[in-house]
Amino acid sequence: MATLLNLSDSDHSGLSDQSVSTRSSNRSLRIAEQERRKNEAEDPFVLALKYFSEVEAGTPVTGNDELENNLVRVEKVAFSRGLSPEAISIMLDFAMSLRMGSSPCARVLKCLLPASVVPQEAVVRAIVWLTVRKLPTSTQVLFIKWVLTVFDMIDAKDKLRAIYGFIFSFVTDENLCPFICHLLYLLTRKENVRVFRVRKLLEQQSKLGRQPYLLYLLSLYKVFCPELVTLSIPSRMKSGFKNHISPWKSALIGVQRRNGVQVASGISLAFAVRDKTASRKRKHAHLELPPLSPVTIKEPQAAQGSSRKLVPMQQVQSFAQLLQNMHRIELPAQMGSLLGSSLALQYLDCVQDESALLRLNFWLGYALHEEFLFCSDGGANKNPEEALQFLNRLLSAQHFLQEGFNSSDAFLFKFLNVWDGSLLRPQILGLLSNIPVIPSSQIKALLFDPLMQLFFTSSLFFKCGLIECLNHMLLKWLTWHSAYALEDDLDISLNSHTSINITLSGFKDSVMELVHFVGRLASLGLQLEGCHSLLLSFILDFYETVCDTFLKFGLPLVVMPPPGVFYPAFFAADPISVDRLAFIMHRYKVNLTSAKRQEKVTEQAFHISRQTFREFNRYQVFLVNCLWNSNMCYPEAEVRLSDELLAQSGVPQFSTRFDLIHHPAFVSYALDFHHKCWPGRKDTDLNSIKQTKPWSWYLEYLFTQGFDGLKDFLQNNISRRVMMAGDRREDGTQSQELESAPQIKQPLLS
Amino acid sequence: MNICRKAPRSQNITEKVKPEHLALLVKTEWQLSYVTPLYQFRHTQLKTYARQLSAFIAAEKQQGLAVEVGGLQNTFKVSFSVLQGLAETNDDPETVLIQVQSKPMFARQEDPPKTVWSGWLSCINGNPEYLQSLPKDFTCLPLFCSKGAEGLSSLVKSWLQRTFDCCFGPLDINQTTLQWLAALWTNCHMETNIQKLKMIWTLPVVPPLQVTYTVDSDDALELWRSTRESSAEKSRGAEDEVTRFMQGLMSHFYRHFRVDLSAGELNQVSSALGSAKLNGKIKISSSRYLISIFSLLTECALLKMP
Repeated sequence: MATLLNLSDSDHSGLSDQSVSTRSSNRSLRIAEQERRKNEAEDPFVLALKYFSEVEAGTPVTGNDELENNLVRVEKVAFSRGLSPEAISIMLDFAMSLRMGSSPCARVLKCLLPASVVPQEAVVRAIVWLTVRKLPTSTQVLFIKWVLTVFDMIDAKDKLRAIYGFIFSFVTDENLCPFICHLLYLLTRKENVRVFRVRKLLEQQSKLGRQPYLLYLLSLYKVFCPELVTLSIPSRMKSGFKNHISPWKSALIGVQRRNGVQVASGISLAFAVRDKTASRKRKHAHLELPPLSPVTIKEPQAAQGSSRKLVPMQQVQSFAQLLQNMHRIELPAQMGSLLGSSLALQYLDCVQDESALLRLNFWLGYALHEEFLFCSDGGANKNPEEALQFLNRLLSAQHFLQEGFNSSDAFLFKFLNVWDGSLLRPQILGLLSNIPVIPSSQIKALLFDPLMQLFFTSSLFFKCGLIECLNHMLLKWLTWHSAYALEDDLDISLNSHTSINITLSGFKDSVMELVHFVGRLASLGLQLEGCHSLLLSFILDFYETVCDTFLKFGLPLVVMPPPGVFYPAFFAADPISVDRLAFIMHRYKVNLTSAKRQEKVTEQAFHISRQTFREFNRYQVFLVNCLWNSNMCYPEAEVRLSDELLAQSGVPQFSTRFDLIHHPAFVSYALDFHHKCWPGRKDTDLNSIKQTKPWSWYLEYLFTQGFDGLKDFLQNNISRRVMMAGDRREDGTQSQELESAPQIKQPLLS
Repeated sequence: MNICRKAPRSQNITEKVKPEHLALLVKTEWQLSYVTPLYQFRHTQLKTYARQLSAFIAAEKQQGLAVEVGGLQNTFKVSFSVLQGLAETNDDPETVLIQVQSKPMFARQEDPPKTVWSGWLSCINGNPEYLQSLPKDFTCLPLFCSKGAEGLSSLVKSWLQRTFDCCFGPLDINQTTLQWLAALWTNCHMETNIQKLKMIWTLPVVPPLQVTYTVDSDDALELWRSTRESSAEKSRGAEDEVTRFMQGLMSHFYRHFRVDLSAGELNQVSSALGSAKLNGKIKISSSRYLISIFSLLTECALLKMP
């Protein structure tokens, strides 16, 4: 808290607001008190204060009962309710002016417990008294300690700052120096740091030795003016100023609790410890973030004038401060340090400074190369924990900025060629999914070739992870497209920081390449892994993204899944895969229909190839024939086995084996339905479900089981009429009926 | 490596670079590092840098003691200077030499301070495309050579890192470069006596086997000449010449000892003209081929850039 106070004028506005309100409430209190004064006899406390404000200099202390009585009265109030600003002012003045000598001074100071705030003027006056009167050293120390304790409760600091030089002059006092240094630490601003003060402190250092309090004050000076002083704080000395608040702490907390105010939670540790994880054992710690330190050597032209007002990034501790100082923030000496602070990243995102980004990229690229490619001291294999932390931090920075860094992309393209696919897999895949759109001419060499090798030589889990990563990558590309691409401006910048542009058609090519690549991986992967349902699930995730590119992301592109994905998904034994396939086909249809419509409205709209429509229709007809018409072996089917071969398999009525009743994924539902529909029947005849009424009930039953994809698909593709009049589904007329039904939109067959 | 390795030509470097500067560079073993581009480095502010760095070293050496920048340092004195003339092209920034001088603890008043550490940042024949692609806030001096106590090296590096937001990484001299140096030095035997060409290999056997292979310079030159003659007929590149020269040396060794050196790793090459080690230590005894060698090392450093 205290470190924040020396930053700008407005940052203690909260405090001063508070003081205004407490003052006004004090005023109303005063009025109430005056009224009370009229009604009652005069308050002894007020009388006591009056005594202290009016007592003549030189009044003897010893044997003075009046003083004793009044002091006891003030103490009583102070320890129970705390003193009002006026009371503090009077008592402080009384004590520091030594009107009755120094003996009551310490006692008065000990009871100066503010009820709300401490008036700044009183403190300033007391500091002035400090030079005029000869206080005993212990009392002087006590006074400064008191100021440190109530520092956060002082209503404003501008006048205190105005006498900075005056306060500074006390550093030569050996006894006061530790406490004055702390007070100065709380008050120092950039304009206070001057060469002569630095020299004075260094002089003290040579006199007093390596004292932490001098060092901490100097370290703050270094933050503001690194060109004047330099130092390095040993790790054992990193604890900060000692807390000089013991005499008042517990009493103050008690008073505050009783008053129900929480003015300040005591003085916080005034010294921000730079780096807690200083115990690095590695020789080349390239993964360590550099400290957030200010620029040492200013540009010559900037050194005058403007740099006076610059605020080092290190001093910005809250978002509010960031906003206030946005126009005059000074970037740190080492840009790598920004990675550790979300505030700094926030700023980086706003400023769009090319040099700053380049610096960050150089550092990041260096760290990644040294750690993972050159492996100069064992690399990531030797320090997995550190590497993990580093990559996680990088990932969270990228998520925060919602884009990757050039250098990490460049690194990944190199690293994919040497990666074993298991080292830090989640992190590497995470970084990979942040890669921006790659032009289609380079995408194969940079991405597909290394990934293909990794995919086919690694475990099922890697395959799943990679498909998921590519799905995220596609999602990011598409989101980026829908956010940045303007319809009339085809040139879209690849990444908000680079000047590489890509045209809309170039972007479409890249997306298409990516989708086709995943199609190839998926088809072969499913074969290799025996259509593993986990892999299938990740693949269907991917196609859920692909099928909606037009409607969700406004990209005029529709790519159908390859047969190697479609058929395994359809023949899957788990109903979820079939349901999701139905959902995907439904979304394809919605996208294609709306694309078709738009093509008609706006003449210049994109053209979807006949091939895509043909593929879509083929899948669509297949699905309807299998599931609905119980006719897998229709003449135009893409997958056809000779009837003789199928007959040899001994499966009765092979053509109907994949309808909604006999499909391995649904047969258990059919059985369950059968039991519920005809509880008394002993022999199970699933075909009896195919009659009109049970059939529509069966569909209802399936829909209540949560097969929403199936529901969407069937309700949109099979017209109501067919749904209801499905009594003679078995005979061959169904497929014709379907063809002529409006549900398979003929316009799609363009 | 996409290096265009022309046959090295001996440059008359003494005309361009002051002899006292050259004397600082030769006959010392340098430890090589690569450096990412320096941000806001100005050749005009070397005095300021010297003040800053000496204060920094003093503060780091006496932990917990603040040091005034620009104050009189009696322990370490740093100087920055430009080694004029080492840059080859217009894109190359001038080489900067950093020296740290110190007076021994019990030295007499009149004793001159001793140079305890020195290092230089340079870019000789750097890839113009890369150099021009950098914004003008950046100065690319990718090759850093240092000599002196390890502690001081890391202090200087860490100061440079903090001040110019750059990063230092170790630069090893790889196999190709070592072979190239062997050929280069052999070629020099036409003009100056290189005495012997010495190569050290390590072979991956258990226990590790180290082979020191010393060739008489005349024999080596003869092999090199014959390699060049035969390749001149077939008009092959210089890189190929070097490979075939090394193959010649290795097959000779195999004939005698039945040990195939190509299975191992070349660790060190040395001759009277200098020595180079795989771990990035290089010593050059004659200024004659300085520019060629440091052009090559600059190129190696640039290849390490992120």
